[in-house]
This record gives sequence, C-alpha cells and structure tokens, in this order.
Amino acid sequence: MAWMKVARDGTPDGARRRSYLLMLSLVGLLVVSVMVTTLVGTLGPIGPGDPERISFREALEAIFVGHGDWPSYYSAVFWDVRIPRVLLAGLVGAALACAGTAMQGVFRNSMADPFIIGVSSGAAVGAASAGLIGLTVAIGAFAAPLLAFISALLTVLVVYRMGVIRGKVHVDTLLLSGVAISSFLGAIVSFLIYFAGQDYHQLIPWLLGSLYLSRWEYVYIAAVPVVVGAVIIYIYGRQLDVLLLGEETAHNLGVDAERLKKTMLAVAALMTAAAVAFTGIIGFVGLIIPHMMRMFVGANHRFLVPASTLFGASFLIWADAISRSVIPAQELPVGVITALCGGPFFLYLLRMSKSRGDGN
Amino acid sequence: MNQEAVAGKRRTILAVAVVAIVAIAIVASVFAFKAFAPEEDATVVIVDDYNRTVELPGIPDRIVSVAPTPTELLFAVGAGDHVIGVDDYSDYPAAALNITKVGSYTLNIEAIIGLTPDLIVTSDLVPLAQLDQLQDQGIPYVIFAARTLGDVVDDVRLAGNITGHTEQAETLAQSLQGRIDAVTSKTLADGVSTPKVYVEYYPFWTFGPGSFGDHLISLAGGANIAAETSSEYPLLTSEYVISQDPDVIVYTIGVMTTTTADEIASRPGWDTITAVTNEDIYSMDDNLVSRYGPRVVDGLEQLAKIIHPELFS
Amino acid sequence: MAIRVAVSGLSFSFGEKKVLKDITFETRDGEFLGLMGPNGSGKTTLLRCITEYLKTDGRAVLVDMKPIHTLPPRELARIFAVVPQSTVTDFPFTAYDIVMMGRVPHAKGMLSGETEADVKAVRGAMDRTDTWRFASRPFTELSGGERQRVIIARAIAQEPKALLLDEPTVYLDISGQFEIMDLVKRLNREHGITVIAVLHEVNLAARYCDRIALLSDGRLETIGSPEEVLTPETIRGVYGVDVIVRRDPFTHAVYVMPRPSPSAVQRHGTRVHVLCGGGTGGPVMKLLLDSGYSVSTGVLNVLDSDYQNANDLHLPVVAEVPFSQISPEAHAENMKLIDRAEYVIVSPFPVGPGNISNLEAAARALASGKKVFVIAAPAGHGIDFVGGRADSLIKGLISSGAVEVAGADELPGLLKVNR
Repeated sequence: MAWMKVARDGTPDGARRRSYLLMLSLVGLLVVSVMVTTLVGTLGPIGPGDPERISFREALEAIFVGHGDWPSYYSAVFWDVRIPRVLLAGLVGAALACAGTAMQGVFRNSMADPFIIGVSSGAAVGAASAGLIGLTVAIGAFAAPLLAFISALLTVLVVYRMGVIRGKVHVDTLLLSGVAISSFLGAIVSFLIYFAGQDYHQLIPWLLGSLYLSRWEYVYIAAVPVVVGAVIIYIYGRQLDVLLLGEETAHNLGVDAERLKKTMLAVAALMTAAAVAFTGIIGFVGLIIPHMMRMFVGANHRFLVPASTLFGASFLIWADAISRSVIPAQELPVGVITALCGGPFFLYLLRMSKSRGDGN
Repeated sequence: MNQEAVAGKRRTILAVAVVAIVAIAIVASVFAFKAFAPEEDATVVIVDDYNRTVELPGIPDRIVSVAPTPTELLFAVGAGDHVIGVDDYSDYPAAALNITKVGSYTLNIEAIIGLTPDLIVTSDLVPLAQLDQLQDQGIPYVIFAARTLGDVVDDVRLAGNITGHTEQAETLAQSLQGRIDAVTSKTLADGVSTPKVYVEYYPFWTFGPGSFGDHLISLAGGANIAAETSSEYPLLTSEYVISQDPDVIVYTIGVMTTTTADEIASRPGWDTITAVTNEDIYSMDDNLVSRYGPRVVDGLEQLAKIIHPELFS
Repeated sequence: MAIRVAVSGLSFSFGEKKVLKDITFETRDGEFLGLMGPNGSGKTTLLRCITEYLKTDGRAVLVDMKPIHTLPPRELARIFAVVPQSTVTDFPFTAYDIVMMGRVPHAKGMLSGETEADVKAVRGAMDRTDTWRFASRPFTELSGGERQRVIIARAIAQEPKALLLDEPTVYLDISGQFEIMDLVKRLNREHGITVIAVLHEVNLAARYCDRIALLSDGRLETIGSPEEVLTPETIRGVYGVDVIVRRDPFTHAVYVMPRPSPSAVQRHGTRVHVLCGGGTGGPVMKLLLDSGYSVSTGVLNVLDSDYQNANDLHLPVVAEVPFSQISPEAHAENMKLIDRAEYVIVSPFPVGPGNISNLEAAARALASGKKVFVIAAPAGHGIDFVGGRADSLIKGLISSGAVEVAGADELPGLLKVNR
C-alpha cells in the first residue's frame, strides 16, 4: 500500500511526505475534536451520569435545526455555551503551542515556554487587580481580560527593555530578566490574594486556567491575534531554523537575527497575552506540544509550526472537554488537566534521554 | 538589783509581750479572714461548639476576638466593652472598627499577648495552631462554629454565658428564634411552593450540600439547584445552571465582587433562564449569609422575601 | 564564477583593544588562500570582517569593487559561504535539513518553500560531499568529519562565489582533516571557487594553499606562496620557534618540522666527529647537539639524507659528489676534522665501495689515540655491501679498542665532557 511505502521511505523526500500526511491528519483530528467535544458536557450526550442527558438526536437537532420536541435551552447550551467554548479552547491551545514553538526557537532551548518573558505573571497582576478597580462594573465581562492583556504586554515591555542592549537581543539576559520580573510580580499577586483573604476564591480558576467564562465575543477578539500571529510565525519558519544554529550562522546565511528575534518575541507575546487574558494561565501546553511534535516532524519549522498549532488546538479542546465533564455539574480548571499531563510527559522524556545513553 | 533596773526589766518584758501579742493577732486575723471569708464561686465553665470544655477563673473582662462572627455575637449580647482586640475583618458593628487590630488567619501573637486578654474567641476558619500557642501562654480560647440557624441561636446563648450577659443573650436568642419561626412557619408550610433558587457568591461559585448557604435556602423555602452536587462550595458549569432553569437568582456582594444583574443576564445562553426573562435577579449583602451571627437571621428574612414575595409583603 | 575580494587598510578594535591593524591584500581569481598566524593574531576576526559579521569602515572590504556594506545581507550570503569550526545544536535537524538551510539566501520571498532548484542544489551538494547517504539521519548523531562534510555541503548549496573556512579541521582526527581539505581543494580546482581558509596547522596550509597570508599581532606580516612565506626566519619571527623546512617527497609542498637543539642548550665545546650515512647519522647528530656537543661529520655524498641533516643543522660537513668513491681530497678533509675532534662516533651506516674509506678513517683515528665508539647495527640489518670487508673492519676496530655500544643513547654517559 502506498502509505506503508511512505512510512518506510528513509529518504528526506519520504520524511517530508510523512510530515505532510501528518499535518493532514492533524487537521482531520482538529475537525473531529471540535465535532465530538461539542457533544461533551454536564448535559451530555457524552458526559457524567446526572442530570438529565440530552440524546444524540436531540443534540444534532439542537445544533443544526434549532428547534424540536425538547426544551428551548438545548440550543442555547450548544450555540451559546459549548461551541464558543470549544472554539476558544482551540484558539488558545493553538496560540500557546505556536508561541511556545517560536520561543523555543528564539531562546534556542527546548525548555522555553511562552510565559518566560513575563506574560503570565503580568496578566495575573492585571486579573487580580480587576476586582479592586471599579472599572469592572462599567465594562463587565471585558474588564478582567482587558486589564490582564494590558498588564501582560506592559510586563513584556519591561522585560524586553532589560534584555535588549544597544538594539541587540541578548536571550540569556532576557531569560534572566523574565525570571526576575515574574518572581517579583508573582509575589505581588500572592500579596493581593492574601490581602483579599477568603475572597481569593474567584481567582483560582484564572490562576489555574479555565475556559468557564467563554463567550462568542472572546472568540471573535482572540481569533485575530491568534490566526495572524500563527501565520506570521509560519512565514518566518525557515529563518527560525537558521537561527537555531547560532547568530553567526544566521548572519552568514543572510538572516537578520535581531529583527527575527524581535518579531518572534513580539508576535509570541501578543498571541500568548491574548490567550491568557481570556482563560488565565494554562500551563504546559506551550512547552509540551512543540516538544512532542518535534519527535514526529523533526525540527524543521515549516512543518513544526503548523503541526504544533494544530495539535495544540486539539489538545486543549480535549483537556477542556474533560475539565467540564469529569465531575457532574462542576468545573475543574483546565490547567489542572494540562499539569497532570505535564508531569508524566517529563518523566517519559527523562527515560527517553537516559535510554539514549548519558553523554549523548 | 537596783529598783530602777527592776522596773526597766519589767518594762522590757511588757514591750516584748505587746509586740508578740500584736504579731500573733495580725497573723491570726489573716487566717481568720481567709477561713471565714465568704466562698466565691470563681470558675466559669464553658463548653464550646467543638465540645471543648474551657474553665475560666471568672467572667472574662478582657476578650480578644479573632473572627468577625464572634465579634458580632459579643456585641450583640451587650459585651462589646469587653472586646479589647479584634481581627482585621471585624467591621460590624461600627464600634468594632476602632478596636485594636490583631491580624487575621495569621494572627499577631505578640500583639494579642500584649493586650493581656483573659479569653480569645474564634470561629472555625482560623487555624487553631496559633490559638494553641496562645493557650500555652495561659490564654484560653473558645470556638464558635455554627452550622445551622439553630446553632446560631445557641451561639448567642454561649456568648451570654461567656460574658455573663445571660439575660441579654436570652432575650436576643428568643427574639431571633421567634423571627426564624416566623419565616419558616410560612415558607415550610404545607402547600407552599419551593421555587428553584441559584445563589452565587462569585460567578458560578455557589453553596452546595452541607453548606450554611444551602441550609438558608431551604429554610427560606427555596430549592437550591446545587443541592445534588458533590462539593460544599462547587464551581458550576454554565450549562448546568441553564438546564436547571432557576426561578430566582441571587448574587451576594462582597469586597471583591464585580457582578451585576446586567452581567448575569448577559451571560451566554442565560437568556433562556426563567429568572433572567422575569428579571428575578437580586443581590444581598454577603455578610448576611457568611457571618453566622445574629445578622444571618436578617439574611434569612431577606432571602425568604426574595424567594416568596407573596408570603412577605 | 570567481570574485575579487579586496581588503584595504582594514583596522578593527574590540573596544580599546586593536585586533587588526591596517591590513591590505587582494585575492586572486580562484585561489586557495590560507590565513595563518599565532593565537590571537586576528585571523578569525579578519574572516568575520570579510563576512561583515563584524562591521568595518566604508571601503575596508570590497567585493568586486563594491564595499560590502552596500550589499544586502542576502546577496552577501550568495557570495560568501562560511564553514565554521564546528556546528552545535540540540535540535533534531536531519543532515538534509541543515544543507537545505544553505538555500535560504536564494529564497524568492518569505512565503517560498523548498523549490525544485533548492532540492536539486541540495542533492548535488550532498552528492559531491558524499553525505547523501545519511541525509535523513539526525545531524547530532554524525561523527565530527561527517558533520563538517554536511556543513560544507550546505556551503556548496549556497552556490557561493567564495568559500570561507574558519579552522575547519580543528576538531577532526587525521582522516577527517585530509577528507575535508581534499574536498575543499577539489571544489576550488574543479569549480573555481575562491577559498579563504583560516588554518592553524602549518603543514596543512603549505600542502593545500596557493598563497598564505601570515598575520602577526594584528598585522599582515607577509603574503605569498608557501615556499616564500614558510621560511625558518619568518617562522622564528612570527611564531618564535626554530624550524627546518623540507619538501614533501610526493607533492613537493613545503613542510616544517621543529629544529633539534634549541639554541638555549649550552655548548660546552667538546667536539665529536660522526662517521655516518644513509640517514643513520640524524638521530646521533640530534642527540649530541641536544647534549651540548659540537658536532662535525663526513664524508657524505650530497644526495645522502645525512648530508641534508647536517646542512639543516649548520654542521661542518665534508661533502662528496654522488655515485662515486670518496676522493683522496675529501678523505683528507675528513681526517682534519677527526683530528680536531675528541671523540669519533661510527653509526651503523650502510657501507659500499663508495664510502668504505670512512671506516678506514675510523681505524686511523683509533690508531692515533682517539676514542672511537661504534654503534651496533640493529639485529638483522646487514650494512656490509663490500663482500665482508666492512664487517671485518668493524671487528677490527672493536678488537683494537673501539667501544661498542648498542644504541646512540648510551653515548652521552660514556663521553666525558671537556669543561
């Protein structure tokens, strides 16, 4: 069979064909994931036992027809609650995985994630303060995301200024300043939480990451930076490959390393901030997904970026489906699910690197 | 011996004898006083809500309260003057704001010791390790931990016992009980409907089974839509609330609250909820349902009026 | 295909430190130019100035008469291809991926992926470097030599006009070194690609370069063919080391080797005359010189390697024309030198009709009271090519009082030093 031939083809051509096939299947996976998880939730059809379950027929009717011999709120559940949530999960997962890929390229380090330049801690300060500022009454559901977004970008700007010396991006300095600023802001968030006493409750889903406040408006707003950002990062894919071999090699191959780093950092920061503003800090996606995809498509960014983006979307869509259906009627922050995946994944990586032999 | 010398000797003996008699008399009277003093019934024995027996040498004069609920209880039974230290969150009644602050959750141990209290009163939210520390310093503590309205009424009496304001406490307790009965006699009567109620203290955070809030909703004549969930304070999924279709929505207002009725009504998919279409969205002061003191009866009354306006006009 | 790289008045400083001082030279069409010099002389910095990784003033570096800063980076990358000392990455790029990166300067726009031309160029480059067979393997799993070949393939895929290499063999073993240098030389010869290579190994440079530019302390000391540049005087001046320059017998390329007896050794003036030939005298001369003796030798024919050794060491030597017997004049000269010496050493040189009078000279020396030492021939090595006369002469020497030693290393202990 043709596909088996492709599977065994050891030439670079074969590898590329395999990668194309993988991307096609990832697109398929995303479509299927969206369709299936739309049917997952407290009310079913796929979900925990209680309460009354929507049947498959009713679900399909509610989605495609709009009315039937079932309560009118079924339509609302699918079109107002689930579908925007699934789509937002996809956008956020894609954003984090794509930004993570770019960051690992810029920092030349496969342990980098989209939060290392301060996006998460900056956004946390914004979200934590949202309750303390009267602004929220005025613009309601957009106050916290807006504050989180703005403070995330401000934080990145500060970290960036510290890491850029005379126009050159020093990634080591950038990393350290990101760590320092994140620690500092983390302390501020802790203080705010402590100050709020038992009122910190409502920050928990945000700090662990959750999609429970999803709505269509968030989807429209988030779609712009996420899609545009992913396209930009994809376009710079070949240059990212080159950057990974070092600054001098990049120069010798005609790549403007400084412009590339700045562009990637800016785009990744915007995508991440947009994602985090709406859902809080969902960890591990930006770190694990590029790592995993590299094992299948290699380090070539023309394949790695789309693969990470697509798989990141599917991954978070499923993680969120679990988070909203594993306990009947209740929400588990999706960050808990992604963290549960993170631990075993790293143990697995450790085993793989050990079996390849130390000193390799 | 010379006659004058003899007289001198006799005068000496007399002086010594007088001193001795006076000394003996003093000592004897001290003993007599002690022996014949009227017996004082000195110890006060308290059994608190954790069934701990606390023996106090007398009615405590200087009391430190490390939680808002006991503060309110002490003031309610008229013992506010004896409260010399409160936690940062005690803000009711207004007089409590002027009392020395001693921290909250993590207490300022030195400040408390410095106030030389006779007793500490606390709720069950404060970590007990610190209180045990203070107990080792000789300062006992009493825990108020009401889980039902009945417990609250008992706590009023407990506050009275501690402070010696038993009469005032009893009056208050009976008045509270009366008000509670006045509500429940109507809300729990036969044939009275139990509208579906959704109460949230933060968006999607509600009172689950076993919580005080759930208890209040039942007594107020409502059917808590979260009664069948598995946590005491669950975070509900939006679709669950939609599917339960509550008749009444109540949100409580606290320090960090940003919710409004408009925000609730504009939540995706909530336009299908009865409470939203009928604009039956109400707010309540968070303290009326989270501080288990006398004001929680106010909370009950407000909630009952919201749920059953037809019974309380 | 060929380009002219012209460096004129190039100076470069890192902050206060002047690393390059007023360097001027021009490459010739399709030449293989080596950049050499001691550590810290600025070779790598010079290379980086040429590639514009380090920025220099206006007209310091010209490519085909154009200052490099007027060329956009991608165009410069289509002119120069650089092969660094080593390439390190943690990421699982395949060898093919690495070579394909060489096509980035040729990409038409940001959106263009791998074109037909790219694929062909990569395949061609990998075929020429014999790296196609591990195209799909991760770059990190290849050996040092294989990795450098892949990088050279990448450089070829760039379709450059000039190849710049920065100490490309530093991390390679001997087979890797020749592998790489042969490959680069072939590219240079077959495709006329100009090569500028920073090389640390003198003999490697001498072997492969058309010209060598020698840097010293940031200045261009000299530039010319390896014969012109690699002289003992120049090398002593730049590197501070004494060398002897010879010719590779097969390529006639020059090569250098360290000169024995550094001038630091104290000469105590005791004179020794060595009778030798056929290369057996070299180690004896070195041993005696290192121990401070003054050495003379003869009679040696001018094609004998011991004659070349003596000349390189500037020793007094009696010469004779090749393919003939030692003349009486030469023999007399030899005796004069023997008279001046305190000791006479006879190395196990092959004896034929041409040089048997050297043994007779030893006998005369012994008879006149000189101390004579005979180094035994290694077992199984016959040195007598005169029908037994040499063997009997030597036996005669020994029975008449010459000291037989098993090897030259015993000598310093036996010879008394004339203080």
